[in-house]
Amino acid sequence: MLREEKQPVLRIRHLNIWYDDKQLLRDISFEVQQRQVTAFIGPANSGKSTLVRCINRLNDFTPNFRSTGEILFKGIHLHEASDPTSLRKQIGMVFRKPTLFRGSIYENVAYGARISGVNQSERLDTIVEKNLQKTGLWDEVENILEETPAQLATGQQQRLCIARALAVEPEVLIFDEPCGELDPIETVKIETLVRDLADDYTLIFATNKRRQAARVSDVAGFLYGGELVEFGAIERLFTNPQDDRTEQYVTGRLG
Amino acid sequence: MNSMSTRAERRQEFVFHSTSFIIFGIAIIPILNALKKTNATNIQVVSPNALSMLLNDLYIILLTSLLAILLGIVCAFYLEEWLPKTNWVRRLIESHVAILTGIPSVLYGILAISVFLSYAGTLKVIDDVPSAQNTEVIPFQYHTTLFLGEVLIFILMVMPVTIKTTQEALRSVVTPVREAAYALGASQWQVLMRHVVPIAFIRMLAGGCRAMARAFATAALLMGTYIWFYATETDGMSNRFLLFLGVALVLSVFSSTLVEIYNSIYNSNSA
Repeated sequence: MLREEKQPVLRIRHLNIWYDDKQLLRDISFEVQQRQVTAFIGPANSGKSTLVRCINRLNDFTPNFRSTGEILFKGIHLHEASDPTSLRKQIGMVFRKPTLFRGSIYENVAYGARISGVNQSERLDTIVEKNLQKTGLWDEVENILEETPAQLATGQQQRLCIARALAVEPEVLIFDEPCGELDPIETVKIETLVRDLADDYTLIFATNKRRQAARVSDVAGFLYGGELVEFGAIERLFTNPQDDRTEQYVTGRLG
Repeated sequence: MNSMSTRAERRQEFVFHSTSFIIFGIAIIPILNALKKTNATNIQVVSPNALSMLLNDLYIILLTSLLAILLGIVCAFYLEEWLPKTNWVRRLIESHVAILTGIPSVLYGILAISVFLSYAGTLKVIDDVPSAQNTEVIPFQYHTTLFLGEVLIFILMVMPVTIKTTQEALRSVVTPVREAAYALGASQWQVLMRHVVPIAFIRMLAGGCRAMARAFATAALLMGTYIWFYATETDGMSNRFLLFLGVALVLSVFSSTLVEIYNSIYNSNSA
C-alpha cells in the first residue's frame, strides 16, 4: 500500500543497448522506488553492468555505443540532461574493484567536496568524519587519515570508496558487484552497510550471487541474455517465480 | 580485439592504412619538388665565431623544445582525450605519426642537409666579407630562412615522437581511475588536471627528452661526418659537435632516469 504512494525515482522504459552490432540489452522496462534496494541478478554477461552503468551515463565514454528508449530520473529524461557531471553527483557509483586516488585517506573522502569547490578545512573535516562514520570506517582509520589508503585491506578500501561516494551526497547509489573481490567477512560488512544505507538512499545493486541479492534487496530483477526476465519483490522472485528461467536460476540450475 | 576481427574488418584496415600511406607519399612530393626547383642564389655566409654558433644553437634548442614538445603534447591530448578511437582524423594522424617515428633519424638529417644545400645553392662559409657582386652576405646566425629551416626539421623529428610517447603516457592512466572520478561527478577537465596529468607527467617529460635526444644525436652525427671530411680550423664545427653530442647524452640519460623513477613510483602500488 505504502509502496504505491511513493514516486519512482527512476523509470526506465523500453531501453535497448547495442555495442557495435551486438545487442546487449533488449527492451528493458522497470521502476526504482525511493529508499529501497533494487538488485539485479543474473549470470555473467547477462547485462547487469551495462544496465547499471547506463543509469549514471558512464557508457557515454564507450565508443560504438548506441541506445534507444528512455531513462527518467525524477521525471527528467537522462539523456536530455545537458550536464552529465551534475547528474553523476546525484547518482553515485561503487565499482567491483576498489579504485582509490593518489593522496591520503582524508583526501579521497574529501574528493567530491573539493571538486565542487569546498575548501574550508572545518567543513571538509566534518564531511570526512561524517561519511567515514556512516561506513563504519572512522574507528579503523581515525589515526591514519593522512596516510595512503594503499595500506588498507581490500574490504576497508571498498568501504572507503563507499564513503567517498556518499560524501558527494547523492540520492541514488549504484553498486556494481561491490563484493566481487572481497572475502566472506568483508562481504558481510558491506551487505550490512548496504541495508543500513537504504534508510537514507535509493540503492541499486548488481550482483551475480543470488543469496546475496536475497539478503540485501527489497526488489530484484533477473537479467538473462540482455533481457529482463522478471522484476518484482524479492520474496516473490525467490518463492514464486513466474518464469521458468527465473525458477531455474534461483534454484541454481541455470547460469 | 584484433584477434577477433573479421575478414571484412581486416580488409577495411588494410585499405585504410594503404590510403594513409599514399596520402603521406603525396604530401612529400611537393617538398621534394621544391628541393629540386629552388633557384640557388649565391648566399655567402660569414664564418661565425664559436660563441655565436653556440648561441644560434641555443635559440634552436629553445624554439624546438617550446614548439615541438608543446605542440606535440597538445596534439596528443586532443587525439587521446577528445577524439574517439574510431574517429578517422585521429586514425589518420596516428598512422602518420607511426610512419614518421619509424623513419630512421639519419634520413631526417639528410633531408635537412638537402634543404640547406638546395636552398642556399652555393652556400659557403667564408672567412672574409667578399667583394663579388650579386652576392648576399649574411652573418650565419641571423640567416632567418636557414634558421627556420633548421627549426622545422627539428620539429618534424621531435613532434611525432612526443605525440607517441605522450599518448602512451596518457593511456597508462587506467580506465578505472578515470571512471571512479567521473562517477563522483568530476568534469572531463577535472579528471584531466587531477588524475591524468599528474600521473602521466613524468612519462611525458621522459618522452620529450627522448625525442630531443634523438634530434640532437642525429645532428651531432651529421656534424661529425662534416668534420671528418671538410672541417677547417676556423668554422667552429667541432664545438657544435661536442655541444650537440653532450646535450644528446645528457637528455637520454635523464630520460631513462625518469622512466626508472616512474616505474619505482607506480609499479609498487597500482593505486
